[in-house]
Amino acid sequence: MPEEKRIIAGIYHLSKRLSRHFTLKDINFQVANGEFVFLVGPSGAGKSTLLRMMYMDDVPDSGQVIVGRFVSTRMKRSTICSLRRKIGIVFQDFRLLEDRTVFENVAVAMKVSGRGMSEIKREMTDILSRVGLYHKRYECPAALSGGEQQRVAIARAIANRPSILLADEPTGNLDPYVTKEIMELLFKINSGGTAVLLATHDVELVRSFGQRTIYLEDGRVVKDSGRVFEGDLLRSISDSQVERRAREFRDRRIGRGEKQDGTGNTNRPEGGG
Amino acid sequence: MSAFNEFKYILDESFRMLRRRKASNIISVIIMGFSLLVLLIFILVTLNISMVIDNAREEMRVYVYLENGLDQDVIERVRTGLYNFDSVRGVVFVPREEALERFRERLGEGSALVDDLETNPLPNSFEIRMKRAYSTGEEMGRIAGKIGDWDGVEDVRYGKDWVERGEKIVLGFYMTDFTLGIIVFLSIVFVISNTVRLSILSGRKSIEILKLVGATNRYIQVPFIFEGAFQGVISAVLAVILLWVSYKVGSRYLPGITFFRLDGIAGFVALCAVLGAAGSYIAIRKYLKR
Ligand SMILES: Nc1ncnc2c1ncn2[C@@H]1O[C@H](COP(=O)(O)OP(=O)(O)OP(=O)(O)O)[C@@H](O)[C@H]1O
Ligand SMILES: [Mg+2]
Repeated sequence: MPEEKRIIAGIYHLSKRLSRHFTLKDINFQVANGEFVFLVGPSGAGKSTLLRMMYMDDVPDSGQVIVGRFVSTRMKRSTICSLRRKIGIVFQDFRLLEDRTVFENVAVAMKVSGRGMSEIKREMTDILSRVGLYHKRYECPAALSGGEQQRVAIARAIANRPSILLADEPTGNLDPYVTKEIMELLFKINSGGTAVLLATHDVELVRSFGQRTIYLEDGRVVKDSGRVFEGDLLRSISDSQVERRAREFRDRRIGRGEKQDGTGNTNRPEGGG
Repeated sequence: MSAFNEFKYILDESFRMLRRRKASNIISVIIMGFSLLVLLIFILVTLNISMVIDNAREEMRVYVYLENGLDQDVIERVRTGLYNFDSVRGVVFVPREEALERFRERLGEGSALVDDLETNPLPNSFEIRMKRAYSTGEEMGRIAGKIGDWDGVEDVRYGKDWVERGEKIVLGFYMTDFTLGIIVFLSIVFVISNTVRLSILSGRKSIEILKLVGATNRYIQVPFIFEGAFQGVISAVLAVILLWVSYKVGSRYLPGITFFRLDGIAGFVALCAVLGAAGSYIAIRKYLKR
């Protein structure tokens, strides 16, 4: 990416006690724009829990999660909705609406963002072609293979052009051949500028790709192969800093949005109209 | 633009929900329809009875009997006094001669008895018609008490027992309807809340997915509220249709009974829609708050 590197998601001194036996302890890492990051660890290491904090399905006991302009310490129900429209999430079990077609499953993410039907239809061709499912747009999930279902989930996740995609064991239910296909798809999406944070317990998978890898074990980061930012950015930030950063982020986004509007290749400015 | 889109999509989702009718919903709609029918029957009976009683009450007069041999100006003073009551609609002076004439007419064949009388035993009197809204035993009693103390007034009478009994009957019906209404309406809320809860549970995977892609609470809950309101409306319409059929049959045996006015029916259906919406709102709030 020719663009300057900047943090689009960060976890700062996050601690969370889930049970007597398990606590996430002082987690720190940041993800830069366009980065591909593996989050690896054995079953029960806390990967899913950590991702849940990132899409703010749960709140840390202490520390902060900052994703885009969203700060975990100041989230309301309505801001959680806004956050989720700005990120993409993919799971092991696909989580598709069983009674709706491929088209509708992807459209739903765009609809909740308030985008118009004509726009949705216009963009759908491109989105479904990217995941190779345009010809199956009127099928329901039950008529699709696991790999195809995951492609639908990925299409849905990228439908709003998120700056980051969170994937929790996206290939966990798939055979090696399909796993490879899905990984290729995710890399393709990543090369289009979307950062990907992929949680998996499959160390082999991670090794074969040689990307930045964060190792999580028993609730701790034991190794981070490629920290993008060192030093003072690893502190959690004060309220005024949060505000400044959120403002900067917003300004930059709006600026970018105007510049790139011709290409139609950017996040929509907040609010939508 | 985006608010309009959201509105459109929420409506879409709502209709999608309605199209997915389930057998359990049909059963609960039938149960609610019949409960509402019972309530409507009670209210219709009340309506008819209170109309009969109202009509009778409007015919009620307060009679003010005057002393004999009063000066004209005393009589006029009483008349003016009567008109001063807000509740009085009209006052008619009945001279004792006319009273005797009426008496004779009423006796019919026995009127020879009257002809035998040497003097007229009947007094002059005023007949007071009350304004409709004031045709109550309480108001009649109040003014009767006052008028009784006036100069030149011998006695004041009105159909006290009759009026009060009528009022008691109507009040009894009102109370019954009110109690029954509360019970039926509460159970409507409860039943709809329950069927919608089942519908939420069967759709909870979808709800979780909608949350993940950033749907607002409104986007998620309005279709369920819509579903509840719809069930309320269908139950109400069912009840009204059943009532209409029973009315048609019943009016063959009891000609002259009235049915509800159209705006009353519309109001009833609307109320049931609101109750259904409230029931499902309760259910969905409970689910989303967890
Ligand atoms: N809601 C919860 N309440 C209590 N404990 C929980 C809860 N969710 C998860 N845990 C515990 O937290 C630990 C981490 O769980 P998590 O699902 O984050 O692990 P994971 O790294 O995603 O594992 P896997 O590879 O099996 O998906 C586990 O020990 C789990 O039992
Ligand atoms: Mg997990």
